[in-house]
Amino acid sequence: MFINFKGAKTYINTGGKNIDVDKTTLCFIHGSGQNHLSFVQQSRYFANKEYSVIVPDLPGHGFSEGVPCVSIKENAEWIYDLVKELKLNDIVYLGHSQGCLTGLELNKNYPKLLKGIIFIAGSNTIPVNQFLIDLASNDFHKAYRMMVTWGHGKDGAMFTGNIPGHSHFGEGFNIMNMNNEKTLKIDLEACNKYDGGTDAAQKIKIPTLAVLAKFDQMTPLKSGKKFIDLLDNCELKILDCGHFLQAERPKELNTFISSYLRKLN
Amino acid sequence: MSDNYKFDTLSLHAGHSPDKETGSRAVPIYQTTSYVFKDTEEAAALYNMEIGGHLYSRISNPTVAALEQRLAALEGGVSAIACSSGMAAMHLVVTALCSSGDHIVASSKMYGANINLLQHTMPRFGVTTEFVNPNDPDAIEKAIKPNTKMVFGEVIGNPGLDIMDVPTIAKICKKKGIPLVLDATFNTPFLMQPFNHGANIIIHSLTKWLGGHGIAIGGAIVNGGNFDWGDKEKFPTISGDHFALGGISFWEEFGPAALTMKIRAEGMYNFGPSLSPTNAFYLMQGIETLPLRMKKHMENTHKLLSFLQDHDLVEWVKHPDLETHPDHLVAKKILPKGSGSVIVFGIKGGRKAGQTFIESVQLASHLANVGDAKTLLIHPGSTTHSHLSAKAMKLSGLTEDMIRLSVGLEDIDDIKKDFEKGFRAVSKLMK
Repeated sequence: MFINFKGAKTYINTGGKNIDVDKTTLCFIHGSGQNHLSFVQQSRYFANKEYSVIVPDLPGHGFSEGVPCVSIKENAEWIYDLVKELKLNDIVYLGHSQGCLTGLELNKNYPKLLKGIIFIAGSNTIPVNQFLIDLASNDFHKAYRMMVTWGHGKDGAMFTGNIPGHSHFGEGFNIMNMNNEKTLKIDLEACNKYDGGTDAAQKIKIPTLAVLAKFDQMTPLKSGKKFIDLLDNCELKILDCGHFLQAERPKELNTFISSYLRKLN
Repeated sequence: MSDNYKFDTLSLHAGHSPDKETGSRAVPIYQTTSYVFKDTEEAAALYNMEIGGHLYSRISNPTVAALEQRLAALEGGVSAIACSSGMAAMHLVVTALCSSGDHIVASSKMYGANINLLQHTMPRFGVTTEFVNPNDPDAIEKAIKPNTKMVFGEVIGNPGLDIMDVPTIAKICKKKGIPLVLDATFNTPFLMQPFNHGANIIIHSLTKWLGGHGIAIGGAIVNGGNFDWGDKEKFPTISGDHFALGGISFWEEFGPAALTMKIRAEGMYNFGPSLSPTNAFYLMQGIETLPLRMKKHMENTHKLLSFLQDHDLVEWVKHPDLETHPDHLVAKKILPKGSGSVIVFGIKGGRKAGQTFIESVQLASHLANVGDAKTLLIHPGSTTHSHLSAKAMKLSGLTEDMIRLSVGLEDIDDIKKDFEKGFRAVSKLMK
């Protein structure tokens, strides 16, 4: 659905169903240079179960207009304002990559807002190589290709996967290409600058789930495991794929999410 | 980090990894109609396209999917759908994009079945087509109307071998917000990848060079994922609420893959032009050697062009790689590896000479196909177009003396010797 939010046309995918505030809402937040299509195999899957789903396109991403948020804090504030605008009160947050940093910051600043957090390919810090940041500015198409290639495991390179006829590389590039061309650089800089993740992770009091990927080159497993060590009550699952595990291992991921949600409720 | 494999490697490997249970190196032929659901929840999720997978082979099949993924890889697309023939692919695209009252702009110089579908069949369902010269971008632009839903043409026209100026026409389509749909059968992704030149949707007859061995009929649609379907008034069945899957918008739910998902949910589901898994296997075997075959096809084509040009009994030779071809400069720009392995030429002596030549060669096969590993010939004047007068043939861009030659992979000396037999027979006839 499209809403006018903070003066900009904003898209929120709801998995093909209406938002129901009486249900637990799963709030999926995408990573750098991505949009709601990162969660194609999660949004409708969970919206057709007992959950309400929102997958917003952050400003300047996907179908949303507006200027991208320049910091993780600004992203977290935008999401807080959005869930208040939508009158949501029973929220489980699911972040991918940069979305994990945003989730940490959101929970730190509004500790009573979230019932649970799922970190997908996350860490408490996501340092970004200056070469990639510069490339995102000077030759963003090349930067997209590089990220899509790095970001996928073997299934990307072999053009295998569970959606018949589908190419992870083709889809990945064209999802990124839907965004405002300045978006990727702004997102990468926001990740690179963010240094509040350790503190925010140590402040989490709610049970969390972290799903990491063995062959993740964007937020490496080693970094993800250090992050998990900071969390008090976190269940860890590891999948044998690359960074885009929502697309590469959707069935396994959805099973982990379902199991976590059942325990949470 | 994922490897970014090159074309030759993708031709062999894309779409399949040996499965963990059997270790089968070749793509298995999943000769099955249906797939056992784990539970009712999984069944519902598959029916509703909430998650990828197979539920019934009319809609998708693992062997066919491996072929589709290989094609998406070779073309640089987002996704592909394989189907029972090239014409089935064409029909799926037309019905996915157009509804009654809609309009198509198409090349006037195309394969007869493509023209028949648009000129005679689709108008019965309220979809009309304006045919324009594919070499005239201005005419294409002028023909686009508010209700035009696609511009369609063949990269290399069959049988006239006209070359579409794809980059120029793609710019026009982008400006007008219309997808450019191209039949890329004659070039294959080895000679040219249309998405790199701005095309949006590719149609293939896999029966020809991609399959390459004349043993299986098949077709495919490859989706570039590079078209913005967001105009709900123009593309209501892609970006608006659709009856399938409970009233979703394919564009909002699937983004770049919207067209493919729509064709799978509607076209494959309702029309059912599915490709058999065994034929998918045969076609993939062909694709494994596509780069090798295309190199040899082009090598033999260029040698035969010289042979025919130098022959006393050949009136004329037409191929886009010849400087005399009107589209030679465009071909040079967009088809640097060569403009395909079909040659058309005229034999001195008209219709009877053409017929005699065809009946006198022994190695080359006289049949209605192109793109086989073997050399193929047809004389339209005595077969497919024998009912037409010389004047009517000219209007179709054909001539009485014209022979269409699909150059095969035999030793070039043997092809030339075989042709000499045909020419000797023509020579006797002329005496």
